[in-house]
Amino acid sequence: MPKSVTIFTTNTCGYCSMVKKYLSNKGVSYKEVNLDDEPQRQQEALALSGVLTVPVTVVEKTDDSREVIVGYNLAKLAPAIA
Amino acid sequence: MSKVHDLIIIGAGPAGLACAIYTTREYIDTVVFEKGVIGGLAAVTDVIDNYPGFPDGVGGLQLSDALQKQAERFGAKIEFGEVQKITKKDKVITLHTTDGDYKTKTVLVAIGSEYKKLDVPGEKEYYARGVHYCATCDGAFYKDKEIAVVGGGNSAIQESIFLTRYAKKIELLVRSTIKASSVLQKELQKYIDEGKIVVHLNTSVKEIKGENGLVNNIVINEDSKEEVMKVDGIFIFVGLIPNTGFLKDYVELDNIGLIKTDNNLMTNVPGIFAAGDVRSGATLQIASASGDGATAALRIREFLEHKKLATY
Ligand SMILES: Cc1cc2nc3c(=O)[nH]c(=O)nc-3n(C[C@H](O)[C@H](O)[C@H](O)COP(=O)(O)OP(=O)(O)OC[C@H]3O[C@@H](n4cnc5c(N)ncnc54)[C@H](O)[C@@H]3O)c2cc1C
Repeated sequence: MPKSVTIFTTNTCGYCSMVKKYLSNKGVSYKEVNLDDEPQRQQEALALSGVLTVPVTVVEKTDDSREVIVGYNLAKLAPAIA
Repeated sequence: MSKVHDLIIIGAGPAGLACAIYTTREYIDTVVFEKGVIGGLAAVTDVIDNYPGFPDGVGGLQLSDALQKQAERFGAKIEFGEVQKITKKDKVITLHTTDGDYKTKTVLVAIGSEYKKLDVPGEKEYYARGVHYCATCDGAFYKDKEIAVVGGGNSAIQESIFLTRYAKKIELLVRSTIKASSVLQKELQKYIDEGKIVVHLNTSVKEIKGENGLVNNIVINEDSKEEVMKVDGIFIFVGLIPNTGFLKDYVELDNIGLIKTDNNLMTNVPGIFAAGDVRSGATLQIASASGDGATAALRIREFLEHKKLATY
């Protein structure tokens, strides 16, 4: 289990709800940063991911390493939260 | 030997989920494979105004959630993974997926289409750094910015209207003329009158350029005159291409790559059916994709019961 998970989302993004559903199904809790509600945090999402898209999922692991996953990418998300 | 399912549906869009609702309700053991988002293209559409039963329209995500819940209520199992190949031996069909091999008696291919690219320099390089194909996913990054939207069909107009909630100005670049429905064109006119959307007919994009890794201008050709247009981003909606690459040596496709079926929605391979946007002749609507899903379910049941399918 990761130490913490943060997802950058928007209200209308279908892939964001897929990431949230996936984490909930796996019993992983997460913090959500909704960029429609907090547009000032867009730069933070861009700095982390390098791209102008959501979802951006930031997984902080127990060894303090960090993985940033762009989009609904199960090939990366599944091992990152294992 | 691993379990042989009654039905595996490839794609959890409106067509696949509608089929799953029908088959699971009739106790047909059904697995649905989805590689992307449950709800398919409907899930990445902001508001759907023309799906029957919703007088005020329905959110794409809301409709997708409801379809998923309804299918799961009757026992559909949704697996996350991509089907990469299909083979058939005797009467058993094997789906080779990113999650391993699955065996089944019947298959419904309901894989829809994906966005066509412009194929111009800079498009790949600046993907998600100013080049986008999904307004509901990426529009929020363009609050008070100036953007271009490419396309003149229903999707391009619908998405331009959606993007006005973020962008302060939209340059709508249309290769020939606007082909969207009159309802959408009427709505578009409101934004043109307000000066929020500017339409450029006979205009094509030649190149997408940027600075510091993000798009900052595009080269366009308007009425045979080349010019540079300053924009912060470009959203491309120039049509869809079928997702059928992995099937092309197996089921019969038409000249644009859509799956040919008979009137029972069965392909040239017995037991493999197709429904929704991916079917040759489909009308590319959520209601018709759902209708296709229901029709396919009934024909699949007949096939499983060894009933002779109707010939027309
Ligand atoms: C911008 C836009 C706006 C639209 N607005 C409307 C509207 O207002 N009203 C309306 O009626 N229609 C609208 N449409 C059209 C509508 O979305 C489609 O007709 C409908 O979603 C088609 O459903 P489908 O199930 O056939 O395919 P899709 O919705 O495309 O679903 C197919 C699914 O299959 C999955 N898939 C593909 N390949 C594989 C594979 N190999 N393995 C596993 N899964 C796979 C995909 O990820 C996808 O989720 C719109 C379309 C767009 C693009």
